[in-house]
Amino acid sequence: MNKAMGVNNKIAWVHLTSKIRQLIVAVLSVTFGISMYIFMNSFTSGVNDAQAELVFNTMAHIRVYNDLPKEARQLLPVPTGSDTVQFISNPKRIQYTEGIKNAEPIRELLESSPDVVAVTEQLNENVFFHNGVSKVSGSLSGVDIDNENQLFHTAQYMTEGDWYELQRRSDGVILGTGLADKISAQMGDIISLSTSDGILKTYKVVGLIETGSASVDKSRAIISIQAARQLLSKNQSYATDVLANVRHYNDARTTAQRIGASVAYKTEAWQEGNSQLESANVLRDILAITVSLTILIVAGFGIYNIMNMTVNEKMREIAILKAMGFDGKDIVQIFLIQSIAIGFMGGLVGLLLGFIISAGVDRIPFKIASLTTLPIAYIPTDYVMALVFGLLTTFVAGYLPARKASKIDPVEILRG
Amino acid sequence: MQPALSVDNIIKYFHDPETIQVLKGISFDVQPGEFLALIGKSGSGKSTLLYLLSTMDTNYEGTIQINGTRLTGLKQNELARFRNEHIGFVFQFHYLLPEFSVLDNVMLPALKLGKQPPEQIRAKALELLYLLDIKGHEDKKASRISGGQQQRVAIARALINDPAIIMGDEPTGNLDSKNTKVVFDIFRELARERGQTIIAVTHDDEFAANCDRVIEMVDGKIVGE
Ligand SMILES: Nc1ncnc2c1ncn2[C@@H]1O[C@H](COP(=O)(O)OP(=O)(O)OP(=O)(O)O)[C@@H](O)[C@H]1O
Ligand SMILES: [Mg+2]
Repeated sequence: MNKAMGVNNKIAWVHLTSKIRQLIVAVLSVTFGISMYIFMNSFTSGVNDAQAELVFNTMAHIRVYNDLPKEARQLLPVPTGSDTVQFISNPKRIQYTEGIKNAEPIRELLESSPDVVAVTEQLNENVFFHNGVSKVSGSLSGVDIDNENQLFHTAQYMTEGDWYELQRRSDGVILGTGLADKISAQMGDIISLSTSDGILKTYKVVGLIETGSASVDKSRAIISIQAARQLLSKNQSYATDVLANVRHYNDARTTAQRIGASVAYKTEAWQEGNSQLESANVLRDILAITVSLTILIVAGFGIYNIMNMTVNEKMREIAILKAMGFDGKDIVQIFLIQSIAIGFMGGLVGLLLGFIISAGVDRIPFKIASLTTLPIAYIPTDYVMALVFGLLTTFVAGYLPARKASKIDPVEILRG
Repeated sequence: MQPALSVDNIIKYFHDPETIQVLKGISFDVQPGEFLALIGKSGSGKSTLLYLLSTMDTNYEGTIQINGTRLTGLKQNELARFRNEHIGFVFQFHYLLPEFSVLDNVMLPALKLGKQPPEQIRAKALELLYLLDIKGHEDKKASRISGGQQQRVAIARALINDPAIIMGDEPTGNLDSKNTKVVFDIFRELARERGQTIIAVTHDDEFAANCDRVIEMVDGKIVGE
């Protein structure tokens, strides 16, 4: 810091501290703006995360599967002459292969990716469930017991029975609670199911599961993936889906794109086909940012107003400083230091207050779906951004009056 | 010897509310150590001239030199630096910074100049305050001392950077006769003993009579010495 800066600091400090009440009001307006910014964003992220958690009970962040070929291949070369007309009647897209024959390398590729936290394989098939006379269509998921639990915390949604029973019994099946109702099956019952190829096999109900997603609970039965391969007579590394979770669900798209480039199958991030969920998240984010920035701007107007008043009150002092040889740059500095100091003090208190408000709301009971309290996410970036935006607003709000102060003509003021 | 101040053919107009010529070709030199009084009727242009000499008003024709430095045409920030180092200004209304202590008021121009460490500036400011007989008030707020004391503090502030010229616009205009004499004696002594150049606008005939030299202005022109 050079010497001139030192004097300017000293003058700014005297100005700041000579009107304590005004200083407190200015600091509080920044504090309010910043704490609201933090709270709004923490709450929105909390709501988004809670929503996502519900969805990701049954859905992975990234899914690799065998899709229909995108476009029908050109069956015949396009005729060149204008005297030829070509008709191909009723062309069809045919899937030559089903599922993923060898899921192993894909699983390994996903596992080696640094931001992937969990990977599992599934073998999904549409089947009919029979229990006595009732016959209901549904889906059968053959799953890797440990990895499935790691991705979806399935074990914690079991209403009856033990998740790991599937590992012990190859003829065990876990039914969604809704599905169990439909076919009136209970724990310990023997049910049979038939595949589209007409194979019929019996299983013992070893557990019931309720994920919270009604459509899934009404149609899904789970067995171990080995049992499913056996049922459908597939080889030992066959799967229909390879699923992976990344560290944060918002990053799924980039990871999916990167991995998709070196995989022959369709690699899809959760956002595709769930745009309603993504758009709700994005809209909530936009709303939070709009509201919180508005609050910050209002706080900025508060500072602008106070600094403007200060400058108007101090016209004479500014003229004297100029007469003594302080130049325009010094005057800008003197007033800018004041508003930045206000921004910094208000900002630091605001960070703390924002955290306290968030933590308080985090304790308010709210018992809907899987929630127990209002959801709050604690994200360091929110705090950093709050401080950055806060300082930016105070800087702009302080700069305008400071510039006005620097333009004061001392002669006009001093001649009276 | 190089003049402390050299003014050549200064012309100044005001354009608001209508264009009037306030200074009509002013030229004079002031020698170092001279104590000069500027007198004239109200409205004759004394303050206007002094604000030009102080470099705060740059809107004029003609040239101004102080200690051989041509000030006409310099940029605002260059003039601010020059003013800080070479010109001490004393106003009719003492114009101290009311929120600062008496001592801080005196120290500020030197802190701004930054040529000496703060302790040294402080010692010098105290010395000046003693010289001007304001002992024991250093730490009071500037707004908490009497008018005469404030004027003396303003003089101490004008002296802190050892300026080439001290300018005063009716520096005693607001003081009683006793305090006027005190301030006059200080100026007298500064000019005689420290060789400091002083230019003071005054309406006080007795004050003017005791100066080294008197310049009288009438209607924007110098009429006599
Ligand atoms: N900012 C201004 N705009 C227009 N006219 C001005 C302005 N300042 C001064 N004048 C005019 O210039 C003339 C000289 O004014 P100035 O203040 O220099 O007089 P002065 O000699 O100092 O008078 P006094 O002894 O009363 O202080 C006056 O006629 C005044 O009305
Ligand atoms: Mg005047």
